[in-house]
Amino acid sequence: MQVVILAAVLIVGGYAIGTTLFAERGSGFLKPGERPPEFSLANMEGGVTSLSDYAGKPVVINFWGTFCEPCVKEMPEFERQYKKWQDKDLTILAINLSEDTLTVKNFLNRFNLSYPILRDEARKTERNFALRQYPTTFFVKADGTLMEAVVGGMTEEDIDKRIVRLLQL
Amino acid sequence: MLVPENTKCECGHHNSVGTVLCEYCGKPLHQDLQKSDEPLEMRYDGVARRSQKSNPSYIDRVWNFFSSVKIAIYLIVITFLTAMLGTIYPQESSFINNFDPSTYYRETYGTMGHLYYVLGLSHTYESWWFIGLLVMIGTSLVICSLDRVLPLYRALNKQQIRKHHQFLLRQKAVYKGTLNQDAAEWVSQYGDALKKKGYRIHREESGTALLAEKNRFSRWGPYINHIGLILFLLAIVARAIPGWQMDAYITIPDGDTVQIKDTNYYVKNEKFNVEFYADDELPEQLQGKARAKKYLTEAVMYKCVSDCGNPLKEPVLEEVKRHDIIVNSPLSHDGIKLFQFDFNLNPRLNAVNPVLEDKTTGEIYGPFYLPMKDAELHYELGPFTLDLYANYMEFALGSDGKPTTLSRDPNAPAFVFTVKGPGLHPDGEPYIYFPMQKDKVRFAQDTINRDLAERIEIRVDGMENVDFSEATTVLNVRVDRAVPYLWVGAVFSMLGLIMGSYWQHRRIWLRVDGAEVVLGAHTNKNWFGMRSDVAFGLKKTGIEVDPKSLDNGGKNA
Amino acid sequence: MSYVEFSSDAFLVAFFLYCFAFMFYVIAFAGKKWSNRDPIAHQRRWGRIAFIVSSTGLASHLAFFFTRWIGSGQIPTSNMYEFMTFLAMSIMIAYTIVYAIYRKPLLGVFALPLTIIIVAYAAVFPQEVQPLIPALDSIWLKVHVTTAALGEAFFAVGFAAGLMYLLRVIDYNDKTKNGRRAQFWLEFTLYSIIVIVGFIIAVFAFRGAGYEAEFTQEKVIIDSRGVQTETTSNVHYTLPPIFKPYNSEIVSVQPFLGVDKPLFEAPSWMNGINAGRKLNTVVWSIIAGTLIYGLLRLAFRKPLGAVIHPMMEGIDPEDLDEISYRAIAIGFPVFTLGALIFAMIWAEIAWGRFWGWDPKEVWALITWLFYSAYLHFRLSRGWQGLRSSWLAVIGFVIVLFTLIGVNLIIAGLHSYSGV
Repeated sequence: MQVVILAAVLIVGGYAIGTTLFAERGSGFLKPGERPPEFSLANMEGGVTSLSDYAGKPVVINFWGTFCEPCVKEMPEFERQYKKWQDKDLTILAINLSEDTLTVKNFLNRFNLSYPILRDEARKTERNFALRQYPTTFFVKADGTLMEAVVGGMTEEDIDKRIVRLLQL
Repeated sequence: MLVPENTKCECGHHNSVGTVLCEYCGKPLHQDLQKSDEPLEMRYDGVARRSQKSNPSYIDRVWNFFSSVKIAIYLIVITFLTAMLGTIYPQESSFINNFDPSTYYRETYGTMGHLYYVLGLSHTYESWWFIGLLVMIGTSLVICSLDRVLPLYRALNKQQIRKHHQFLLRQKAVYKGTLNQDAAEWVSQYGDALKKKGYRIHREESGTALLAEKNRFSRWGPYINHIGLILFLLAIVARAIPGWQMDAYITIPDGDTVQIKDTNYYVKNEKFNVEFYADDELPEQLQGKARAKKYLTEAVMYKCVSDCGNPLKEPVLEEVKRHDIIVNSPLSHDGIKLFQFDFNLNPRLNAVNPVLEDKTTGEIYGPFYLPMKDAELHYELGPFTLDLYANYMEFALGSDGKPTTLSRDPNAPAFVFTVKGPGLHPDGEPYIYFPMQKDKVRFAQDTINRDLAERIEIRVDGMENVDFSEATTVLNVRVDRAVPYLWVGAVFSMLGLIMGSYWQHRRIWLRVDGAEVVLGAHTNKNWFGMRSDVAFGLKKTGIEVDPKSLDNGGKNA
Repeated sequence: MSYVEFSSDAFLVAFFLYCFAFMFYVIAFAGKKWSNRDPIAHQRRWGRIAFIVSSTGLASHLAFFFTRWIGSGQIPTSNMYEFMTFLAMSIMIAYTIVYAIYRKPLLGVFALPLTIIIVAYAAVFPQEVQPLIPALDSIWLKVHVTTAALGEAFFAVGFAAGLMYLLRVIDYNDKTKNGRRAQFWLEFTLYSIIVIVGFIIAVFAFRGAGYEAEFTQEKVIIDSRGVQTETTSNVHYTLPPIFKPYNSEIVSVQPFLGVDKPLFEAPSWMNGINAGRKLNTVVWSIIAGTLIYGLLRLAFRKPLGAVIHPMMEGIDPEDLDEISYRAIAIGFPVFTLGALIFAMIWAEIAWGRFWGWDPKEVWALITWLFYSAYLHFRLSRGWQGLRSSWLAVIGFVIVLFTLIGVNLIIAGLHSYSGV
């Protein structure tokens, strides 16, 4: 009787205390080692691209918008990086920040980008990633966990350095 | 607690270890207690608590720790003292938007604030140690109650009527006297008198001993209260089960439909209404301030029935509920509640219905529907065709001199069309259109369009051709599936409190030996009432006493 | 005459009746040693008169409450003035209930001054009827506030009886360390009460004289986007400024005792709304309270406790102890229902969360935990008499902090009923 009650107390109490220890606190912004939330978004070819399509491969997720100057500046650099590392199975997913179709198409016509451009809608994915500023880039390792999240624009050198690290890991 | 050397009473009854007063005749079992003539400690009727064993094991020790009321009180005291600490500065949970606790406390409250954050006091009530204290209180509630209620139940269920003299004379309310009438008859009279006061009377067969008892149920009050509190705490723990609790905020401009995160439901804000107090309704010092009288969101809840989560298609929605949300009246469906939380009155342009005027003929074509987002790319207006070539939500010229947008919100929208028609270049001529008058002036639309501005004009005729959201509502989405259980706990707890507080268990024992009456009375509360009951019975049987004179000293419980 | 005007008159009548009743209670006590009198008959006679007068006061107070309710169309418990008057009325109701059980008028000697102080304190706050903001417009609010106040009123009666017990029992001839400590804390309790009285007197004295001072305070606010904005706001003082608000300039200061500028500036961490003024008020209350206390000490030439102690003779301390405990035991379920359960129901309906760890909520919980500790100490650990009375006194301090201190010092959701 005593043992049963004490065991029940231990389980319920342990659960209560345990949830506080592992509870997410603060902004919910991804930390290194955590898994980014899954998404399935429309791509520019009329299909759907999901993060899980690239399971087991290193992925760079970049959030951008035409209204964000540092994002625009970064895109040709990402293009060169994409070309450079393509044979190493590196993927770059550039998620547009819920802009309308014409805006995105006009933009893409100006730059000749070959890596996948995805369209977020109603800011859903952006919210799941708890984005606060643009651009933000997530470097995700082949095991599906985050290596690093970079807030703000990067030079090509910055990108290159991180991709080298990403591919070695 | 006293540890008796002997558990067998002189009346022949065997008591369990830890018993203070013999369960049968009530005589104190402990030698020291027998010698004293202080009033007896009647807590739990002197029965042994379950946990008292002569050689406790490891588990028994843990059990004993939590079964102690002293420990329980310490836990309560520590809990409220630490709870005080949590109110010094605002808790992290009281902030909703972008808020970084690691810098906020230092910036706002200085070094003390930083210390507060580092010590984890900025989330006192979610900290492992505070929850740990509550868990320990819960444990103590379970164990203390079990440890006492079962023996108490047994003791009260098989009460002996004739008690030992020591037991009677060492109650807190005592009467001793001599009778000058037949003992059995007097006892019977006394019993009848108390019956009128609502006592249940138990008489010994000989007729010379009596036990009168009233409101025994009130003894169970504290335990029912504790059961309620345990249920309450369990319900709170249950909130940690995934899906049982949600607390999110959604912002919806008039006319928009937004999905509720992690659910299959969508909410539309058809219209947000706000009403302010007029100045003559307000006292002087509040006049001129916008004090909201009433605000209301006309909300519709939809359920997605197909194409849900498919990014290529619009979801197919089906209306499930319509409700005007005001403060204190949420929209509620399937355990999801939408509360009015906040609003802002910044207008947002959604669409315009402009017309095209051929300035050479004065002919007007249109209007045509032009939404700010995802507008049609091709328009035919009489002899003219418009092809939407580019659009900007917040028009500006970039550092390279090319047009760009500063944001994705329609703060200063601009549309660039290729216009074809009579008298125009066969490949079409570009025409930029600013729906907002202020932008038209600011960016000098007519100058940019040059010659074309003299040939045609795209414009909006009248406000009825403008669709804009006047306001944006902020709703708080809540799911809390543990709440019904919480109320069950609260009801039990209240019931127990009322039972235990507003009724008192009163008992009167009396025995007559020869002509000598010895009477003892006990209650768990309100000795004042207890004494007057005893005196009332005595008066009815011809013995006048002042209730106060029955007081045998000792402590008032 | 409108309902609201009538209610104000009724309130004034109630106040004076309470004052008279208090005087009669004092006569009932102090007068029993007067010559040519049968002390018991004297006490019974004046006790009865005092009780009738205080009951008439309560009737008048109830008239105030209901006419104001009818006149304003909303239950008068929504701002500090209304809540405090309601609390005072609840104390009188609780007192009457306890009187009905024990038939001991003596409790009035302490319950009435408590009521009078709270009524006077209420009068410090603006008395106009204020329209409700939508969040407060709920039946559960009415139920929650009234029930919680009633529970707290019983705690107040428990406090009055507990304090009487201490005054009756603590021996001022006791020179031992424990005895001196008890005397000191009892005296401190009385002094604290006098500081509150000092606050009320200071406010009314300067208000009567039409005193005013004004400052402009500059505040720098950094919003969530990191944008820095400066705002200037005017701060009105109705007491002469000893402390001026942090980072402020004088607009106008009427000279008081020849001093026409503030002596100090409030420290920088006191940058909340009106923090400087609140600090100034606290300092004035202490000055006024200390002055009154000093005058009383000069007049009697002994500690106030030692002055009251002999008047308490003849009162059975056990009765006081029992009344104190009983009042708390009666109030505890009412408080649980009103301050916790009804509050949770209302919060669940209004905000969709039954509990949010708002400072006011936490302090209600602290109060509840404190009194449950009190009950366990008493029932299971046998803490009675002195210790139990001290707990009753401390408990009421916690109640007052929950009601007033939280609003003054910590802002939260409940601050809209604040000062």
